[in-house]
Amino acid sequence: MSPVLRILSRRLGISVIVLIGVSMLIFAIARVIPGDPARIALGPNATDDQVAAIRAEMHLDEPIVAQYGYFVADVLRGDLGESLYTNRRVTTDIAEFLPATLELVIVAGFMMVAIGLPLGILAARHRGRWPDHVVRVLTLLTVSAPSFVWAVILMLLFSFYLPLFPVAGRLNDSYDIARTTGFLTVDTLLAGNFAAFIDALHHLILPAIALALSGIGQAARLTRANMVETYDKPYIEMAQAFGFFPSRIARRYAFKPSLIPSLTIIGLDFAAMLGNAFLVEAVFAWPGLSRYGVAVILRKDLNAIMGTVLVIALTFLVVNIIVDLLIAFLNPRIRHSTRATS
Amino acid sequence: MSNLLDIRDLKLAFKGLSGLSEVLHGIDLSIAAGERVALVGESGSGKSVTARIILGLLQETPNARVSGEVEFDGRDITAMRPRDRARLRGTEMSMIFQDPTSSLNPTFTIACQFAEVMRRRDPRMKQAECDARATEMLTEVSIPDPERVLNAYPFQLSGGMNQRVMIAMALVNNPKLLLADEPGTALDVSVQAQTLRLMHDLVEMHHTAVLFISHNLGVVREFADRVYVIYRGRIVEEGPTDAIFHAPGHAYTRALMDAVPRITGAGLPEVPEVSDDFLAPMVRHDGGAA
Repeated sequence: MSPVLRILSRRLGISVIVLIGVSMLIFAIARVIPGDPARIALGPNATDDQVAAIRAEMHLDEPIVAQYGYFVADVLRGDLGESLYTNRRVTTDIAEFLPATLELVIVAGFMMVAIGLPLGILAARHRGRWPDHVVRVLTLLTVSAPSFVWAVILMLLFSFYLPLFPVAGRLNDSYDIARTTGFLTVDTLLAGNFAAFIDALHHLILPAIALALSGIGQAARLTRANMVETYDKPYIEMAQAFGFFPSRIARRYAFKPSLIPSLTIIGLDFAAMLGNAFLVEAVFAWPGLSRYGVAVILRKDLNAIMGTVLVIALTFLVVNIIVDLLIAFLNPRIRHSTRATS
Repeated sequence: MSNLLDIRDLKLAFKGLSGLSEVLHGIDLSIAAGERVALVGESGSGKSVTARIILGLLQETPNARVSGEVEFDGRDITAMRPRDRARLRGTEMSMIFQDPTSSLNPTFTIACQFAEVMRRRDPRMKQAECDARATEMLTEVSIPDPERVLNAYPFQLSGGMNQRVMIAMALVNNPKLLLADEPGTALDVSVQAQTLRLMHDLVEMHHTAVLFISHNLGVVREFADRVYVIYRGRIVEEGPTDAIFHAPGHAYTRALMDAVPRITGAGLPEVPEVSDDFLAPMVRHDGGAA
């Protein structure tokens, strides 16, 4: 079996175990939170009989192990139950809210890589000189403030004082676009409505920047730190002794080997954006899954909590697998190893 | 006589927090075309920085102050623009480093690194041409299965193998001058001896001049035509290898010679770190090429 396949199968196996662990943990935690979910859902005016009926329907009176058994059986059938908050299937809710968040996170993740890595390379190439200092101060700023602070600042600056961008939402109400993928930038293009596409993009930019800023700073600082270390390696001096251009040395000799350790953390940052997206979604009234997740936690909507957490955990695992494969691709030591390393 | 390399009154100082600290105090050194010259001294004596000045690398370090003349092939390197200096590196002169395995880029195959080096001379060279030429060079350094080595990454090869690869890479563009900074010191002694013999034959065949930097006089004796002994940034003795070994004139040279380990094993000799004798004036043996 090729090493890449081996890494993939091993990772998939681990992922299943992690998913089972996460589901058990969240299942237990969600049921420990005080308050009766049936009572919260039905409101103070419901009769005890009504509450009891819902409790029976949700198997809430049975032992927790049995409840978990029902849950697993449902999940395996692709059924996440009904949300007590929206009164819809949880799968329907997720299908509606997840694309909004994914769109935001993917654009922010792209910014993180497309802006963060070049900034890090720039700083490392000119380490100890002014471009390095500028990058380090700027990235320190972005890393030290959380994304919701940036969301408010960006909104004030570019939507309020300078009305360049819309304040909230994903799309101007005047556009009626059929939701096929849920990604508005894709759907508008599928509908052939270019003006709506520009509008969707316009709505996307500020929240994506707010979400990406700390990631950009993190990626830049990480890349710089790893590259500065690599610049002390003998093969850099050898490359200089062979007269390669500094830009080529930066790219092929300092950046590529440094990317390997940076990539793991950048991947984790990317997945963590899914959680961080909540506050940005709240500020920009972005109808995404993170906002949904918090709303259902506050209402102790058990089925919806489980569904949301499972989707987020699954995304983490998928991102991790992608990162591991990328690293295997970049690092010949892993690609050519005869034994799989964890 | 016109030399390939002429260094006159070379001085180097580093700017630090407590002002300038001088590392080289006016070095004169010359190498004729195709000549093998050794620069011998203890660590910290200034031999490695000399090589890096010849390559033009130290001139680009912000806190290094270099003065004096370094004339290579009729042109003064110290007066050149950095870009012109970079043009000489990898083409007219190249360098071999101490630890071969960590001096090769770990993320590219040997074939890929060979191609990079060859494209320094001719940027339009195709991968197949590069591979053919690399195979030729690897055969010259007695690598029995060049194809396997070309497709390998440095970590898949032994240290001795990587050393040969590095020698082949350094010579592939037919440089006029090869700088060898303690080559193979990181390898075990028998492998080091093998590769040095190989390198000796190759540079003789290609008529490449070599500046061989070492702390080990025993190794130098096998390799060099002429020897410079450097101590604390000054050349203390200079002459043909035989002359120096038969009649070492300077106290420091004698101390270095005593420091060569012997198989009879008399233990390590006492070499004082500083001695007034070591600061005695330079000894020059006649009959040298310069």
